Amino acid sequence: MNNNIKRLILSFLALVLISLPSMALAEMPEPINKDLLEKGKKVYFKRCVWCHGVEGGGDGPSADRLFTRPRNFIQGTFKIRVTDSGELPMEADLIKTVKNGLQGSAMPAWGEFLAEDEIVAVVNFVKSLVQDRDFSDEDEEVFVQDFGSNPWGTTGPYHLGVPQADIDAGKEIFIKNKCFECHGGEGRGDGNPTMKDDWGFPIVAADWQQCWNFRGARRDYYNPFNVVRTITTGLNGTPMPNFKDQITVEDRWKIAAFVNSLCPRKNIDKLTAKPIPDFLIQSVYTEGPVSPKIDDPSWESSDTDGKIVPVSEELAENPKRHYIAMAGQITRGKRNFDPKTDNLWVTSRWSAEENAVYYLVEYHQRFMSEDPEFPDAVAIQWPAQLQELFGAEKPYFIMGDSKKPVDIWKAKFMAKDYNPTNAPKPDGYKLDVSVEEIVGRGYDALSAKESEAKVEVVDSIYKQGRVKVLFKRTLATEGEFDVQIPTEQFVPVSFFQWAGRDKESDEHMAISTWYYTILKPALPASLYYMPPIIAAIFICFQGWLVWMTKRTRKLFDEGKFQRDEVPK
Amino acid sequence: MNKGLISFLVFVVGLAVFHNAIFPIFTPSEPGWILNRYVYFLAFVAYLIITNLVLRLKPPIAMMALFVWCLGFYFYDHILSPHVPWTLFITYMMMWSIGTFLYVSQDADTFREFRQPIVKTIVGEYKLARIIVFTALPILVGFATYNSIYPSFQEPVELRTVHPAPPATTKVHGKTYPLESTNNPFRIDEQDNYKDSFPFLDADKHEYMKYVTEGGTIFFQNCHYCHGDQLNGLGMFSHVFNPTPANFIDPGTIAMLQEAFLFWRVSKGGPGLPNESTPWSSAMPPWEEHLKTDEIWKVILFEYWYTGWHPRTFGTEGSEGE
Repeated sequence: MNNNIKRLILSFLALVLISLPSMALAEMPEPINKDLLEKGKKVYFKRCVWCHGVEGGGDGPSADRLFTRPRNFIQGTFKIRVTDSGELPMEADLIKTVKNGLQGSAMPAWGEFLAEDEIVAVVNFVKSLVQDRDFSDEDEEVFVQDFGSNPWGTTGPYHLGVPQADIDAGKEIFIKNKCFECHGGEGRGDGNPTMKDDWGFPIVAADWQQCWNFRGARRDYYNPFNVVRTITTGLNGTPMPNFKDQITVEDRWKIAAFVNSLCPRKNIDKLTAKPIPDFLIQSVYTEGPVSPKIDDPSWESSDTDGKIVPVSEELAENPKRHYIAMAGQITRGKRNFDPKTDNLWVTSRWSAEENAVYYLVEYHQRFMSEDPEFPDAVAIQWPAQLQELFGAEKPYFIMGDSKKPVDIWKAKFMAKDYNPTNAPKPDGYKLDVSVEEIVGRGYDALSAKESEAKVEVVDSIYKQGRVKVLFKRTLATEGEFDVQIPTEQFVPVSFFQWAGRDKESDEHMAISTWYYTILKPALPASLYYMPPIIAAIFICFQGWLVWMTKRTRKLFDEGKFQRDEVPK
Repeated sequence: MNKGLISFLVFVVGLAVFHNAIFPIFTPSEPGWILNRYVYFLAFVAYLIITNLVLRLKPPIAMMALFVWCLGFYFYDHILSPHVPWTLFITYMMMWSIGTFLYVSQDADTFREFRQPIVKTIVGEYKLARIIVFTALPILVGFATYNSIYPSFQEPVELRTVHPAPPATTKVHGKTYPLESTNNPFRIDEQDNYKDSFPFLDADKHEYMKYVTEGGTIFFQNCHYCHGDQLNGLGMFSHVFNPTPANFIDPGTIAMLQEAFLFWRVSKGGPGLPNESTPWSSAMPPWEEHLKTDEIWKVILFEYWYTGWHPRTFGTEGSEGE
């Protein structure tokens, strides 16, 4: 009797022990629904084959020109899942991927394009393309993970309001688990330049400061759940492991809060799943000279949109950081299909005293060039002869045209003492900068200006995966092909960027379209005296109204004329 | 209790309850004959009228005017769907305000009754009301002045012609094509016969599908960055460029154009546009620099096959999509 009880307790304990580490229920992934294959094949060969290939090998016609290559289905390796690392996905995972697309890659969201039944069918067809594994094999048991739930009850789209203490705790966990080894010191994905995926293709870590490019964002970019899922399940086929044994579920939410706190809140376009660019770069009038130091508080501002999170008092007067969308130059000459930078941030001040304008250009770049033959570079492009342009006319946005030349300010630079495999360096790297001023009459008709240099780079740095370059130029100059920058007028401006590490040079670069910039005037003095004057006038008007009304009443009361009778 | 106050509460509390609790019931994802937002609005108006009648509240005319005006605002701002543009909204509300005013000034008695609370506020019989109104209004006016003087800058609006008039002829790779009489040399069969065929798999079986496959291959090596995997103009680079890339699914693009027009636009790209179409900011390459003539025609063939549109031809007017 006693023995029996002992045995029972022991076996019970053993059962608990076995089930403890997993904490998840074993189940089978949904088997392939063979009835849907014919329909799924139709969808696949019309919509998917172009990237994913005839056999699902991720080798369609477009594959070689995409960075983040299309998925190879053959091994059954799927990144965004709720199942444990290395396991097959649930059908719902794949359906969500097809519906929402994979942000930051060429995979679009199909949810609004295909009907629900078509999506289910094509997902089943994709499952049938998996050759190395079998969705109905008994050994393919999967464990759907426990993700806990959002402890702060924050809601979309921006998930604001997580306590700072939890974000700070998340940062501690980030350091303790050495996430910076791949994701970099400030999460810009600048940790490890040598990573490869399961098929040997180069791969980079996610940039946490651009969460709209998270593959698993599911078009819900700021939801910390996305991060919790990735930490819990890892990303199959990539060097991203899971941390479910190292980090408790509660702590995973905290690290997710930290990761999310890094991503600036921006208005994300529903259709393109990217932040909406700021098409007008406003240069703020500065009393006295502008500080030539990037670290100066006068250059400090928030990446987050002031309409989403109000700008703090001390930054209210500072210029806004403008978001400039970038793409590969895929129009002329040597085309760039896989740019490594997809946005720049531009901040600007100008000073009447110095008669000069400053543009601070920043962008994320995971790794800098180490080859002096291919330095990194960033440029600002202007119409060279602004006064000759009529109406909305501009030079051709890719380095001008024969009739309308452009003025290009190009800063080329190499980071000093830089090694991409170094541990994160909080002070950053100094840059060796040289400035070129170029007249462009087409991408194949560039000439360096012979006159002495007028554009200066007054400060620059490469820090934690971010390049910052501060340009300065006087507003009016002598040169025939120098842009003469007027105040209070809209001036076309655009940007180029070259990643030296990817051997980008000349027209093989990243490019923006034409933006406008305006040198805003100082605030008019009338701003301070006009409102009280108008208010005072209004008070007088109110007094008059009271006097008139009382007088009319008196006239009625004295019987001078009857109410509702036109006075004679 | 003051009947006017009760009437006011009936309106405010009623609106809060109706808007937060009942409105969601009447706006399901698939609106029906009963469950739609307009029926909801009628129900709310009926509730107001019936409650006021049954309780014999007889609110003062100024309050009735306020109710009527608010109902109009609520209707145009929340019920009418989709929301009308801002300028139209202002126009509607002006009309509605005039209508409300006509309603209160229909005869001398109602107009006097309507004026009464206003006059009483002005002369100071309603002391608290006068203090509040006479302090708040100058402050508001001051703020409005500040806002109107504060310099603000909006980027200039630029208009452009999306489909400019084509030239009579275009010269591509040394050969001159008259646009009016040029047809796609690869359109060798009726497109609809291949609606359900497979690219790649059927490329060996049907010559037509071979061309579609080749065209698609070129499209997905060159064009999808802007025009998108779905040919809807939402490719991964599309958000960068202004003008935004053309959406081929839209009935206003390739569906209403001839193939020869497309051939001209594809071959000459942005730089080939006339000035009214802002050639300086179009990211469309002059594809003659990158593709052969045949490849351009095959891409065009593919675009029609994928979207299901038919190119416009002389003789037939419209074209049909999926």
